[in-house]
Amino acid sequence: MTLSILIWLPLVVAVLGAIWGGASPKVAPRLALLGSFATLAIAIWFVVRYDTGGGMQFVTDRSWISTLGISYSLGLDGLNLVLVLLATVLFAGATIAANLREWERPGQFFLWLGAGETAVLGAFCAQDLILFVAFFDLMLIPFYFLTGIWGAGERTERVRATTKLVIYTLVGSLLMLVAAVATGVLTAEQHNTDLTFSLAALARLPLSTGSQEWIFLCFAAAFLVKMPAFPVHGWLPDGYRTMPLPALAAFSGVVSKVAAYGFLRIVLPVFPDASVHFQELLLLIAVASILYGSAMAFSTTNARLVIGFSSVAQMGFITLGIFALNEDGVQGALLQMVNHGLVTLPLFFIVGLLAARAGGSEDLRDMGGIAFRAPVLASLFLIVGLATLAMPGSANFVGEFLILLGVFRAKVVFAFVAAVGVAMASVYVLRAFIRAMHNRVGPSVESREVTFGDLAVLAPIVLVILALALYPQFGLKRSEPAAKASVAALSTSSSAVASTAEAKP
Amino acid sequence: MITTTWAWLVLLFPLLGATVNGLGYKRLGRGGAGAIGTAAIGLAFACAVGALISLQGHDAEHRALVSSLWDYAVTGDSGVDAKLSILVDPLSVYMMLVVTGVSTLIHLYSVSYMSGDHGYSRYFAYLNFFVFSMLVLVLGGNFLMLIVGWAFVGAASYLLISFWYRRGTATRAGIKAFVINVVGDVGLVLGTFFILRHSGTLDFLGTFRAVEGGAFAGHQGSLTAGCLLLLVGAFAKSAQIPLHTWLPDAMEGPTPVSSLIHAATMVTAGVYLIARMYPLFEQAPAAADTAAIVGCVTLLIAGTIALTMTDIKRVIAYSTMSQIGYMIMAVGAGGYVAGLFHLMTHAFFKALLFMAAGSIIGAMAGGQSLEKMSGFRRAMPFTFGCFVVGGLALSGVPPFSGFFSKDEILAFVGSRGGWFDALYVLGYVGAFLTAVYTFRMIFRAFLGEPCAEARELEHGHLAHAEVPTNPANGEVEDTDVGFPGPEHTIAERALPMKVAMSLLAFGATFAGLLQIPFVDSVITRFLEPTFAESKYIHADPSDGLITFGLIVGTVIALSGIALAYRIWVLKPGSAAAWRERFKPAYTLFVNKWWFDELIDLLVVRPFAAFGNFSRRTFERVVVEGTLVDGTTSIVRAGSSAVRAIQTGFLRYYAALLLLGGAAVVLYFLIAAS
Repeated sequence: MTLSILIWLPLVVAVLGAIWGGASPKVAPRLALLGSFATLAIAIWFVVRYDTGGGMQFVTDRSWISTLGISYSLGLDGLNLVLVLLATVLFAGATIAANLREWERPGQFFLWLGAGETAVLGAFCAQDLILFVAFFDLMLIPFYFLTGIWGAGERTERVRATTKLVIYTLVGSLLMLVAAVATGVLTAEQHNTDLTFSLAALARLPLSTGSQEWIFLCFAAAFLVKMPAFPVHGWLPDGYRTMPLPALAAFSGVVSKVAAYGFLRIVLPVFPDASVHFQELLLLIAVASILYGSAMAFSTTNARLVIGFSSVAQMGFITLGIFALNEDGVQGALLQMVNHGLVTLPLFFIVGLLAARAGGSEDLRDMGGIAFRAPVLASLFLIVGLATLAMPGSANFVGEFLILLGVFRAKVVFAFVAAVGVAMASVYVLRAFIRAMHNRVGPSVESREVTFGDLAVLAPIVLVILALALYPQFGLKRSEPAAKASVAALSTSSSAVASTAEAKP
Repeated sequence: MITTTWAWLVLLFPLLGATVNGLGYKRLGRGGAGAIGTAAIGLAFACAVGALISLQGHDAEHRALVSSLWDYAVTGDSGVDAKLSILVDPLSVYMMLVVTGVSTLIHLYSVSYMSGDHGYSRYFAYLNFFVFSMLVLVLGGNFLMLIVGWAFVGAASYLLISFWYRRGTATRAGIKAFVINVVGDVGLVLGTFFILRHSGTLDFLGTFRAVEGGAFAGHQGSLTAGCLLLLVGAFAKSAQIPLHTWLPDAMEGPTPVSSLIHAATMVTAGVYLIARMYPLFEQAPAAADTAAIVGCVTLLIAGTIALTMTDIKRVIAYSTMSQIGYMIMAVGAGGYVAGLFHLMTHAFFKALLFMAAGSIIGAMAGGQSLEKMSGFRRAMPFTFGCFVVGGLALSGVPPFSGFFSKDEILAFVGSRGGWFDALYVLGYVGAFLTAVYTFRMIFRAFLGEPCAEARELEHGHLAHAEVPTNPANGEVEDTDVGFPGPEHTIAERALPMKVAMSLLAFGATFAGLLQIPFVDSVITRFLEPTFAESKYIHADPSDGLITFGLIVGTVIALSGIALAYRIWVLKPGSAAAWRERFKPAYTLFVNKWWFDELIDLLVVRPFAAFGNFSRRTFERVVVEGTLVDGTTSIVRAGSSAVRAIQTGFLRYYAALLLLGGAAVVLYFLIAAS
């Protein structure tokens, strides 16, 4: 079994679905379901076989474009193992959710969903810089089509949304491509070696501080747009409003994590000096994202955007943890990526259920009193909501605790400001919950309980959330060696910087 | 069975009860949910007694037992030693007994009191969950368990405040309580960081050892900062100024909830926290003094507000705040045993007062206003008796329980000398206020001409609202669900309520006898092993001070009652003249010192303004305008919108990406060669 099977299986199944989908509208959805669960099973197989001792495992390394030093190189270690599992879980959930309703041209719809999963898994597994960039850019295309063709609202709105999405990402992608190529070329130049884009090799051969700094900024821009972080989140409102919900659940749950993961996989190890240099800038962006995202989340009335902007805030916490540049922060960030992915999918799914009960409106003002005949729905919403606001006792709290502890140890002030965001989270989550489920019944609200199909999406993920709350070690234990290693590189590099600085005069 | 096993069982039963009631809401009938809920807590109480007996079997020096279920430690060398562990020592056993004991009675009371409610099994699921959370809080053996319990009780409190969720007033009160409690949680977390930084452990006993071993030598600032942040948590949970505004609003919850959570147990968590952390606070006197002063200020301010409130539950709520002020002042000053003793007696008499108030509210068909109640003495003799017992205990009339415990606090504070003398005097001022507002409430509700409802009840007919309304704002209830139900219950007609109230009345009357100055000191002897290292444990007040206090306390309580009698019984109507005479003070008190308005102005509005500014201005002008408008113009220039999606745009993008990429690659390849 190699990682290639894991990565390409969703796409292959989706292509088969598109080809055979003409026979009956049921073929493509069911095939996609099968494919996503097969992928999930394979991911579980990898997690079970993974040696928790750490190190890069299940490595595939083939030369791809040998003259340019680009290789098709894949592998799993502590940083991406659990994220790969998360991606397959969320895509399986999204595929079930997509199976619960009819789509026009289902063959194509599920083709793009499968392609999205392949791109995401590829980006997580890639161990070559150019390969990562390729998968990272590939991620955009499926979601572009999913939004443009199956999105909500008028066609002009969809165009507007996709245009914003594409242009924002385009700018980021181009910067990243330039930066990636420059990294390889400059490394080869400065160290007099053959051209290589292998991440492991690049991490062993650090660039000069000057080159690191501008390259760092290019990568940071690309990743921050994708997360998105304040103030480059301009594509988010329209994009989130229009994207079809199953796709949005996967997109918000996983794609944003690829960006955060990029910082850990590429930026910290390959540009350690720049990471230290720009630490405060990134912490500042993170804190601004937390505060701004929270403020937007508690003032907007569109239920999707409440979740969307809460993601901005949550991604802010994750960025905060990464740029604490110590083990606690990185561990917390990794755990929080999983936690946030796990709550995002059910939240968006619940928005769909709420809208179905509020006469099709996704506006909180049209909701109210839905809990009445739907105690199960209300309970699940509450559990997911409390996890989202990182109530102690949830895995989200463990993640946030470690992130804040990391930042506290690195820069106390940022920990205090970020802590304000913790209180704000409770406001926007409970506000959304109360306005939807409690208070007087909205004008066109018709309360009814969840169906078994809905439970098939929600119940397993809520169970995973609860299980992870009792046993966050599942992720933490596996990521510990990798987190240690990524931080260790930073401390040696900063001491190296110090020693060269001393040696200079 | 070993001691810690008993303690684990104490945790297990409420959790089981909550789970069974939560999952079986369709199958369990009304009887089932109530019986399971009550039995679960009753069993927990039995196990707590088991733990007590077992603990007393150990030597005094070995009465701090830790048991770990499993170890969360992963980040080994960075020093976060997280364990699922409990600490069983006299303090936690004491808290466990108070919590499970009072909870059992309140569950029993609820079986009848809530019988008309649509959400019966939901109610018992929440209430059991609350007890479980509270037990986690008091049993937790490290900071993480404490924080988890701390947050869980906050969530349970939120759920129960918003229990009647169709009421806008209830949901608003719920979110307010939750958010203020989260502020407290955040304080607790940050405080933990400060302490962890130098102690290197999250374990309580390990932390105390580290503190005594001088881990904070030279880091006094960290310790003080840590303790002050812990106080933020304590104040938020225990409704101390300025984080108190949620407690009066929390009276939106069902009355038994007010009785259990917002009087007897959860709100005393701050007292427990300071007592538990005494080794830290004694090394950080600035923080301890802050606690004592804030407690004193709270007891006075809350007492003055209670004088003017007309909602019977809110009077008792402010009284709770005030009494917790006494406890916080005590533990801040170092009188841990005194504070905890008052915690127990207060749990009895305040739970009793709330239960009796619930009974009157039942008789008023849900009405809570003192303006409308009067003359219930003959109609409800049992409720009246309980209310008077509770009132006497609260006012501190001998030999009722509150007399001995309040007196112990004040005597201890007085013995500290120095500026503590000011707190000592103000404590007696508070005691006077307590007697006045307590008996104002009793006289107005029970004496005087019977109101319509009371007369009806005397003829054997319980008042019944034609159209149920929300007493807080007069809004007509949504009768589907989420309101108290059309039927009401009074103690006189429900045996479970009678039993629960009688037992509490017994406790409110006689609990003080456990610890009478010069006679016995059961509580002190029991708690002594926990506080053995305290520098105040043997700082007993002198005999003269104690005797003086006993006399002064009696005089003050009786004169307060006499004043209330004069104003509200002898000369009915004279209250208006008093209001006129002290108009500025009255305005201040009846507006609750404008704390709500102040917090609204300083916190809520700025945040709301920030939110609105972000949404209306920043997002539109900067993010949309500057960053996105460029985008739109590109599209317009390119092709019409519809064509863009079908044909050109993606190709355009892909081509640009490829071209740009190729150009860059080419450049670097040329440069490299």
